[in-house]
Amino acid sequence: MDLVFLAELAINGALTGLLYSLFAIGLVLIYKASSVPNLAQGGLTMVGAYVVVALASDVGLPLWLAIPLGAVFMFALGFGIERVALRRLAGRPVVMILMLTLGLDIFLRGVTLAIWGGTSRSMDLGVSYEPLFLGDIFISRIHLVGAGVAIGLFVAFMIFFRSRSGIKLRAIADDYMASWSVGISVERGVGLSWALASVVAVAAGVIWGEIQGVDQALSLLLLKGLTVAVLGGLDSILGAVVAGIILGIIENVGSDFLDPLVGGGSRELIVAAVLILTVMIRPHGLFGRHDIERV
Amino acid sequence: MQEKVEVQPILSMNSVEVLYDNVMMAIKGVSVQVPKGEMIALLGSNGAGKSTTLKAISGLLKAERGRVSRGEIKFEGTDITGMLAQNRVEMGICHVIEGRRVFEHLTPDENLTAAAPKGMSRSVLNAEKEKIYNYFPRLAERRNSLAGYLSGGEQQMLAIGRALVTQPSLLMLDEPSLGLAPFLVAEIFGILQKINQEEGMSVLLVEQNALAALEIVSEGYLIENGRVVMNGTAEALKSNSDIQEFYLGGGEGTDFHNVKHYSRRKRWLS
Repeated sequence: MDLVFLAELAINGALTGLLYSLFAIGLVLIYKASSVPNLAQGGLTMVGAYVVVALASDVGLPLWLAIPLGAVFMFALGFGIERVALRRLAGRPVVMILMLTLGLDIFLRGVTLAIWGGTSRSMDLGVSYEPLFLGDIFISRIHLVGAGVAIGLFVAFMIFFRSRSGIKLRAIADDYMASWSVGISVERGVGLSWALASVVAVAAGVIWGEIQGVDQALSLLLLKGLTVAVLGGLDSILGAVVAGIILGIIENVGSDFLDPLVGGGSRELIVAAVLILTVMIRPHGLFGRHDIERV
Repeated sequence: MQEKVEVQPILSMNSVEVLYDNVMMAIKGVSVQVPKGEMIALLGSNGAGKSTTLKAISGLLKAERGRVSRGEIKFEGTDITGMLAQNRVEMGICHVIEGRRVFEHLTPDENLTAAAPKGMSRSVLNAEKEKIYNYFPRLAERRNSLAGYLSGGEQQMLAIGRALVTQPSLLMLDEPSLGLAPFLVAEIFGILQKINQEEGMSVLLVEQNALAALEIVSEGYLIENGRVVMNGTAEALKSNSDIQEFYLGGGEGTDFHNVKHYSRRKRWLS
């Protein structure tokens, strides 16, 4: 195999991986504030995409307006989810909250199916499908745009978590009771993390909707997103970005080697192997927070 | 019990009962008054209801599925019995919960920032932090390392400092001496006394270490089985023979000054 082809696989893998990161950042945001992997992130991403498509093609708004409006709607939805569903569960075992997010995912899928039906709709961002040439290497433009969005969000959240509200969110993630004791509103903090994750879901939904069409399959991104988040360490945004790139490259390059041997379909195998091995070998992921034990 | 009629107490708790899970009664009619600017101690053994009393005052009961089922709690004349914990912090009640519970994955500096009340300007927050670092110079040295790696004493100082950022007028502490070496207990209690005197902050202190607590408070309540069984000035409690026997480690015929002397010597040796 020639080097240019390998480089092309790696670069496009990394870009696809950053799109997984885009999704995983949403998971990390919620995990950071409530220590729960949000199984509804796939559903939120799908709803985010549908809302933007509905605003753009059904209402007829231009995309530059539809996307921010969709983000505002999803921001409110995220807060609403905390208010209606999660608040009752504060302080309950994490497993119950996990089940709630699973239920929420099924619910969101049901709602979109009922409103918009099962046929795939297109996003139509207007990004050209002409590949971009970098020397001899083909690069997909939409993937490049998506990777840019992922990195932009990464930088924005790194700054956010150093601000006062960001520090309060991290405090909430550390200890609910201690947060209450100094007057931090845990409920509002968790709500904010859901709201921000829902906005991230709009970004992921728009980009992935453009790539694979807006339909129920968008919610299945959860599997790859979760793998990236776990590999990165679940509570590390930097981890989500780095792990996304790693998984993207392994998946793209690896499947090119393996597919001829197993006759295709090795992508899913690689993703599954990464998830299982991470949990077995390094449960905190690459950058995840360890529980501090003083010696 | 003597009533102080001339000034309204900053906190008054009248025959408060607390139920957990609607069935288990943790305190059975506790009445406690904290006069403005005073340091008061709640003494008693494990499970007597001291922590529950503090949680009833700070509103943290709700997080543990407890509630005040009878009685009322007044803070500066306002009934706060049903109020949310965060609103009580805004009013000026801050509770340093048991077991230090600092935000381990944040630095001490971030711990202090996290507790900043809504709308506190950056300059006020920085001034507040400087004040706290002045009280606890050890924290200043380690302000940028992870709080989880601080020593037990430093974590307790941080927990107190974090509470001070909320600018409380009533500071409540739950067993600040727990698991700390005697010289650290002396250091922390000394600082509490200084804060009480310099800022006029009222303090409600829950302690099992009655000996150390009675040295710095003006008045104490003894709680047993969810009830206040004794209340008096620190001097009166120290000289009470029952208290001496059960809480100060002195037996019959032991002179209290010897007890104190012994503990002081021990302090130096450790």
